[in-house]
Amino acid sequence: MDHRINPLSRRDLLLRGGVALVAIGASPTLLAACGGSGSSGSGSAAAISTASGDGTVGGSIDFLSWEGYDTPDAIKPWTEQNGVKINASYIATHDDIQAKILAANGSTGYDLTTYYQGYKPLYAKLGILDALDPEKIPNIQNLFPYFQGDVGNFWVDADGTRTGVPWTFGGIGITWDDVALPGGLNSWYDLLDPKFKGKIGAVDDPTGNIALVSRILKMEPDKINRDTDLPKVKDFMSKLLAQTKGVSASYGDMTNLVVSGEVVACWMGWAAMNSFAADAGNNNVKTAIPKEGGYGFCDAFAIPTTVDNPDTAYSWINNILDPKINAKVADFLVGATPVEKSVPLLGATTAALYPYENIDAFLEEIPFYNNPPIESDEFMTAKEWLEIWTDLKANAGS
Amino acid sequence: MVTVQRLERLPLGPLALALPAIIGIALLFVAPFITFVVYSVLTAGVLPFQADAPITLDAYGHFLNSGVNHNLARNSAWTGLFAAVTTVAISLPVAFWLRYAAGSHRNLVLLLITATIFASYLVRIYAWRSMLGQNGVLNSALISVGVIDAPLQFLLFNRFAVTIALIHIFLPYVVLLLYAALGPVSINLLEAAQDLGAGVTRRWTHVLLPLVAAPAATAFIFVFILSASDYVTPQFLGGTKGIMLGVRIQESFLKTGDWPAGAAGALTMLVAFLLLYLIVSFALRLLGLRSVRFVS
Repeated sequence: MDHRINPLSRRDLLLRGGVALVAIGASPTLLAACGGSGSSGSGSAAAISTASGDGTVGGSIDFLSWEGYDTPDAIKPWTEQNGVKINASYIATHDDIQAKILAANGSTGYDLTTYYQGYKPLYAKLGILDALDPEKIPNIQNLFPYFQGDVGNFWVDADGTRTGVPWTFGGIGITWDDVALPGGLNSWYDLLDPKFKGKIGAVDDPTGNIALVSRILKMEPDKINRDTDLPKVKDFMSKLLAQTKGVSASYGDMTNLVVSGEVVACWMGWAAMNSFAADAGNNNVKTAIPKEGGYGFCDAFAIPTTVDNPDTAYSWINNILDPKINAKVADFLVGATPVEKSVPLLGATTAALYPYENIDAFLEEIPFYNNPPIESDEFMTAKEWLEIWTDLKANAGS
Repeated sequence: MVTVQRLERLPLGPLALALPAIIGIALLFVAPFITFVVYSVLTAGVLPFQADAPITLDAYGHFLNSGVNHNLARNSAWTGLFAAVTTVAISLPVAFWLRYAAGSHRNLVLLLITATIFASYLVRIYAWRSMLGQNGVLNSALISVGVIDAPLQFLLFNRFAVTIALIHIFLPYVVLLLYAALGPVSINLLEAAQDLGAGVTRRWTHVLLPLVAAPAATAFIFVFILSASDYVTPQFLGGTKGIMLGVRIQESFLKTGDWPAGAAGALTMLVAFLLLYLIVSFALRLLGLRSVRFVS
């Protein structure tokens, strides 16, 4: 899953046409940003081999990820200094990553990719990520301690093998119009209050929504039992959808609905929406994590098994964890920085989005989850959830 | 210099002339069609499809047996039908006026009608959201003149909003199509009918409509297919009440990663549209309207 807006489009469009155009720039990426695949996987270490080269940084690097994740402005000094040429392949859905790497069928090709933490079990099962040598990424020490370790084995396997390096993250809560709803909402259950019927919005993000409902109902997205848990999930989501006026294709579009007064609050909310609204001159859009908590998303850099320029890929990852560079990246993506020393270097707007002064407590409020499994006899699969989500949306209007 | 006559004298002359069109159709229609047919008989798994899985029609069965798909198909059909009928009904008098009564205003009006085509599809959709929204132009105007006290809630995020936007999007194309269709129809025919005692209604039903029935049917099918299969407008204006089948197919490709399901859905819709075309063609033939010749 990916929650980013294409910042270039966003900023360019804001200059030209105001907030209504934000979603137009945002939609092409975000319509497709939430590929729902995942797997229970084997959970085994993904190590295939430790990529190594002759230590030379340069040449070309084949980059496979979302448009914008190559962070052109932030990475430019590094590419110029090392004479690196970027051959970027942009994905339309997260599933494109495993599809393209597997399609290479063991030959060389992509040098660098990113992944949403929920895909880690699937990628471990497929064995498409190389084991990383942390000594080649000394800037890992710049990360907050939480991101240097790994509670959920999203980046570091249980045996200590590292396959990913977190470089951007964020949290999901409730976003609201503080003029229409002073102080906002303190609980997800407040959204079910009859007085909000037809006044709240939703984002069409099935992977995110199953993480959200799991959090509210105290479940795990990858362990939702078909017989005992799924009926509760459906029931709660149906109630939320019955309250919902519109389901937006993207967070940019959802911002439009909040700003224009169509809805007073939305699930899911993202702190970046505050920034999108502020860019359009509205400083009354706020986001907070309700008392039940929200959920988090974190993207990590990884080196796929198709790498043929590993030293340059390592150098890229190390460069992104430089405090100055990662602050630029966070400003560019309107995201949170996992690099501790980047915090004082953030722009004022970006810095205000997340509570860095107590980051550990905040991360406890927004746990990271795995996606539902691809196949399971016991638990709801990713495909099942996507069909259920579509069904629930359609039935909410009938 | 190679002339058309020289090409025609070559053994494969006529084929050579048609070659660019054949290549174009093969690349832009036949190849994607075959690709979709192949996808539709595969099975999705970890990847959008499993190359080594046995050929199966399961994707079609699943698509056709889904109760939700039935609801979405009904929604698509009603939206397409209402958009197509309304668009043709509005366009025909406009095209008539342009052809026979606009005089020196014709070019200016044609320019105004076609001007909306130059605006982006998404901009037009957003314009309707601004018009129909709770704080939109329509609600604000009605409140300011005292017609309503509170904003009307039913204007946006439903099938109505989707249909209005689709009518607006396709109206210029249909006006142009029908205006062109009326080109060969002489005003003398209508004047002759009037001289013979036909009133306005009779002149329209017995002279004009039979002459433009085929192009009007073409316009109807054009708008119906594009409206019923749309997946962008419903996402921005439909809310939970305006979701259509195209959204489901799009989600199969971009969210579920289930290309066989998406391909089976797309091909099923293609077959449904072909059936519609055959039904309309048969109806025109039955009514003797396909053989009506324009008289100048």
